Amino acid sequence: MVKEVIVRICVIVCTTVLLCSCVEDIDFDQTKEFEITPVLESSLIFFDESANRFLDIGNEIITIQDFVIVDLFDDKFVVDNLIKAEFKFESVNTINRAFELQVDLYDATQLQHTFTVFQEASSNNNENSTTYIENFEYNTLAALKRTKVLVFTLRILSGPPINQDTLGRIQLKSLVAFYFKIGDSL
Amino acid sequence: MKYISTLTMLILCYVSFSQNKQILYGFSEIPQALLLNPGGKVNNEGYFGIPLLSHVHIQGGISGATLYDVFADNNIDFNTKLQNAINSMTSKDFYSVNQQLEIFSGGFAFGSSYEKNEYLSFGLYQEFDFVFYFPKDYAVLALEGNQNNIGRAFNANHLSTSAELISVLHLGYNKKVNKNFTYGIRGKIYSSLLNLNSIKNKGSFTTIPGENNFYDHIFNLSLELRTSGLVSSTDDSGFESKDLTKRILFGGNLGLGFDVGFAHQINKQWTLDASLLDVGFISHSKDVENYSVKGDYTFEGINPLFPETGNGQSADEYWSEIEEDFEELFTVDTTTAKFTTWRPVKFNASLNYAFGEKIEEECNCIKDESGYLNAVGLQLFAMSRPKQPQLALTAYYYRRLFKGLSAKATYTLDSYSFNNIGLGLSAQFGGVNFYVMADNFLQYKNIYNAQSVSLQLGFNYIFNKNED
Repeated sequence: MVKEVIVRICVIVCTTVLLCSCVEDIDFDQTKEFEITPVLESSLIFFDESANRFLDIGNEIITIQDFVIVDLFDDKFVVDNLIKAEFKFESVNTINRAFELQVDLYDATQLQHTFTVFQEASSNNNENSTTYIENFEYNTLAALKRTKVLVFTLRILSGPPINQDTLGRIQLKSLVAFYFKIGDSL
Repeated sequence: MKYISTLTMLILCYVSFSQNKQILYGFSEIPQALLLNPGGKVNNEGYFGIPLLSHVHIQGGISGATLYDVFADNNIDFNTKLQNAINSMTSKDFYSVNQQLEIFSGGFAFGSSYEKNEYLSFGLYQEFDFVFYFPKDYAVLALEGNQNNIGRAFNANHLSTSAELISVLHLGYNKKVNKNFTYGIRGKIYSSLLNLNSIKNKGSFTTIPGENNFYDHIFNLSLELRTSGLVSSTDDSGFESKDLTKRILFGGNLGLGFDVGFAHQINKQWTLDASLLDVGFISHSKDVENYSVKGDYTFEGINPLFPETGNGQSADEYWSEIEEDFEELFTVDTTTAKFTTWRPVKFNASLNYAFGEKIEEECNCIKDESGYLNAVGLQLFAMSRPKQPQLALTAYYYRRLFKGLSAKATYTLDSYSFNNIGLGLSAQFGGVNFYVMADNFLQYKNIYNAQSVSLQLGFNYIFNKNED
């Protein structure tokens, strides 16, 4: 008797809830269209040095070179979702010597890509500035994704010799912007 | 009037669904009402709950955008809808689920034979509670990145969540001191099967224009996730169902708590009652694993050509040092330090007015005090939550429809909906009592657009005072 009453009540309640509740069209398949496009920016390399920094016991230092190991592109998520990258350099020169910064991108052994940021000399020690943007898309983006080592080479180009009394500084700021498209690969 | 508007404003400022059982509260025909106020009026001589069916409660809620807002099949681009939903929500919006299942329960009246004015009730129930606040700043960072948010501090405290699975063994004592005053207290032993909480996150990530380089990226983070009962149930430790049974029966992390409450008959028609529930704690010492990330670091890029130390350090060594700084910042520290969690305290109060005395047709006489057919009242509910208390204000109408059948309709005010209408029924056939109650009825029109739904039902066998 009790069991029968319980069963009957359950049926009534469930039916009522089902009849009273309804839904409007909804489509969970839309998650396939999910796509976000964040842009992350990070400071990259910088320097700010006076002219006499390029002297070593009276001799000019023409070239300064160093490298950094990049493990960012070992990350599958980054490789799969990065659709564009942009390196932005802003240089300021108040020395009467032009300079250039060469950036070489290597995988383990081979050069994948190279570019050079050129900055004119400042003949009157006034600020002479340049903005340079290197875009990485398609082939160059693929090269970037293979990169494991970044080699930076700073060259002071020919001009009036530098001595202890040479005025001015060279400055460089840079950033990298990574454009991601994160979608159904998640 | 001024008070009412202040109170309404206060409620509008807070989000209010949770473990509010506004329909069950004060519904004295239903024995489980004693769990909401141990000092409430008791109408029966004794009862037992039908095992596993005496109290089934489920409630879920979303305080911000609904499923329908995001998934509606309306030709609007999914990503636009998602973006709009994220933009419309704040870090105070949350998702919550609360579920309870009574495993067994019972109660009986005792005292002097002519007037049994004391009542003992007991039981064991299982409860699952989950709250997840919308991590707004994390979502914006994932959606937009930092490029268009220079100068914006992404707050780490937007990540706030807790989940808990517990069993509660309780014993309650209720005493009717005189015809105007009843009080009660209930002791509880909690056994936590699983606890996860990350509610004390602090700090931020900010990108600001830098001095030496384009940007300074400032990391100032203090994030923590504490868990108990998780490790043994996820790894290959051979966790079996018998371990679950053991944990339900005090094999988990234990805690203690109590409920108190009273009911005061102001005069023949007015009553006032209130209760404070789950004042207690759980001490987590078994199967604990905590994870934390802490650190302060400002990154301005690297200077590989002119490493600052000037002592022959190569750019690689220089960057390795930076990498170490980063690793130190983001390395997750794992500890097994025990911790204590406080149960979410709940407060209920109500002011009630009964009217419409039942007149017996045969004798044209009025029945005793329980003979009122109608009642109206106001109920206040408050509950502690990680970010801020949640409040709800309910107006109700109660009616005894027929012998053994009574109903209660509620209207609850909260910040996301002004049309939360709830209905509850309690029916008695012989000794069998059945009750069912649900709220947010108007939202059932489109269940996917519902911001909160709750359902409670149960079966008891009741021994009544007067089997009339």
